[in-house]
Amino acid sequence: MARILLADDSETILLLLRTRLEMEGHEVETATDGQEVIDAMSGPAAFDLLLLDAMMPRKSGIDALRELRAAGIDIPALIVSAHTDGGDDNGDRSDLAISGYITKPIDFDQLFTKIAELTER
Amino acid sequence: MSPSLANRLTIGFAIAFAVLTGLAVIGVARFLQQRQDYENATARSYQREIEARNRLAQGQKPAAARAEVISQQQRRQALRDEISSETRDTALLVGAGLIAGLTGAALLFTGLIASMRRPLEDLVEASGQLAGGDLDARVKVGGLSETATLGGAFNEMAEELQRRAGERDQLDRMKDEFVLTASHELRSPLTSVQGFAELLLLERERLSPKQVETVEVILDNTRHLVRLLNDLLDLARSDAGRLTIRPEPTDVSSLIGDAARTMRAQFDSHRQELSEEIEPDLPQVEADRDRIRQVLVNLLTNANEYCPQGAAIRVKAGRAGADIEIDVIDDGPGIPDEQLEHIFERFTRGDAGETQRVGGTGLGLAISKSLIELHGGTIEAWSTPGNGSTFRFRLPAVAHDRAGVT
Repeated sequence: MARILLADDSETILLLLRTRLEMEGHEVETATDGQEVIDAMSGPAAFDLLLLDAMMPRKSGIDALRELRAAGIDIPALIVSAHTDGGDDNGDRSDLAISGYITKPIDFDQLFTKIAELTER
Repeated sequence: MSPSLANRLTIGFAIAFAVLTGLAVIGVARFLQQRQDYENATARSYQREIEARNRLAQGQKPAAARAEVISQQQRRQALRDEISSETRDTALLVGAGLIAGLTGAALLFTGLIASMRRPLEDLVEASGQLAGGDLDARVKVGGLSETATLGGAFNEMAEELQRRAGERDQLDRMKDEFVLTASHELRSPLTSVQGFAELLLLERERLSPKQVETVEVILDNTRHLVRLLNDLLDLARSDAGRLTIRPEPTDVSSLIGDAARTMRAQFDSHRQELSEEIEPDLPQVEADRDRIRQVLVNLLTNANEYCPQGAAIRVKAGRAGADIEIDVIDDGPGIPDEQLEHIFERFTRGDAGETQRVGGTGLGLAISKSLIELHGGTIEAWSTPGNGSTFRFRLPAVAHDRAGVT
């Protein structure tokens, strides 16, 4: 099972995702904005996967990922977005190596399948 | 202030009337005067002749009297010649005056008509442009006051139309923006509602049957809200010109199989039969797989929901010239003509009773039409009430050489 760093600015969504992921047997740590993601990544814990909300106050998931990639960290990342087309346009994402988009409301079967694909390699 | 047409006509008419009346009066007066002079002179001449004849009868200077008689007879002949020549001159003068007056009046009216014609023709042309949707159409204001006023009013009207069109465009953009933002903001709370309801159902065995049913109602309605939100979002994007597709060569048979698999459970639960008739060796179509799948699911969902238990639904695919034609055919109750006419418009649904039973959003076909047209295809529907409906869409097939590469 995977160690997942989960970021969303909504406590309710965090609780929902954390509960479902833990029921699947994953280990979960949470962050409420992009800065906390970067702090957690520079801490001692090692993660297998990032699950980031695209839009968060202060620093978005996309901006956090851009900083991590610039620092040479190549952990798989899934982006959760309220836009059905992955919208939230803030610049070119082609160099961010995004592993996939999850659209709200979340289809958990699809999410679990993607996590399995990304962490079993 | 420009001169008015009514004033010009009044003045022109008064002048013509005065000139012609004056000419007639002068002519008649002169004619009468000449006649009077002639009669007086003739009467004096007869008087002198009679006096001469009396002298002749009395034998006074007979030679002189005889000469006087002859002289008076010659004078009267001269008077007759003079009057007839004068009468002719007067008639000629009056005639010439009349012709000149009428010609003048005719020239005046022709001039007035000509001065109206140009502005009126401009107005006709500009009205045509405006009616054709060219809101920049204006006319040059000038000339007679009536046409100037008309031209001014026309320009004001065009100005107003253009202003309102601008306002409407802006309102449309605000509406699209609003729907995009609202649907985005609603998505987070809906995610929580749906997610936690699903979480509750995962512990189904610890809930009473009544509680399970309650949670299922919450979930059903949440999914319906999400569908409505997605549909509204698609329509707002389509209106704003932001509905985009990513077409690539796509296999028709796998596309149909995919949509049919998605719908299988719903057809089974209505004990309806879903069959596929796909022409062998079909070329691929240029299509955004997810979007065309969405169209097929929309059409199949309608067939599923509007047809009774036991109905048969067929999906047919075949070549039609350079296109691929895909039909969704059912043997259900059909669609009345007056509904069929508006079937691809928003919020058009079956009659009220049906709508209660059927859970759709009333937006599916409007979105399907937008999506098919974005692909450069067409969609149409026909039906015989009581004898089923057919929905047909066409997509451009991938040219043969490209199909070989992919």
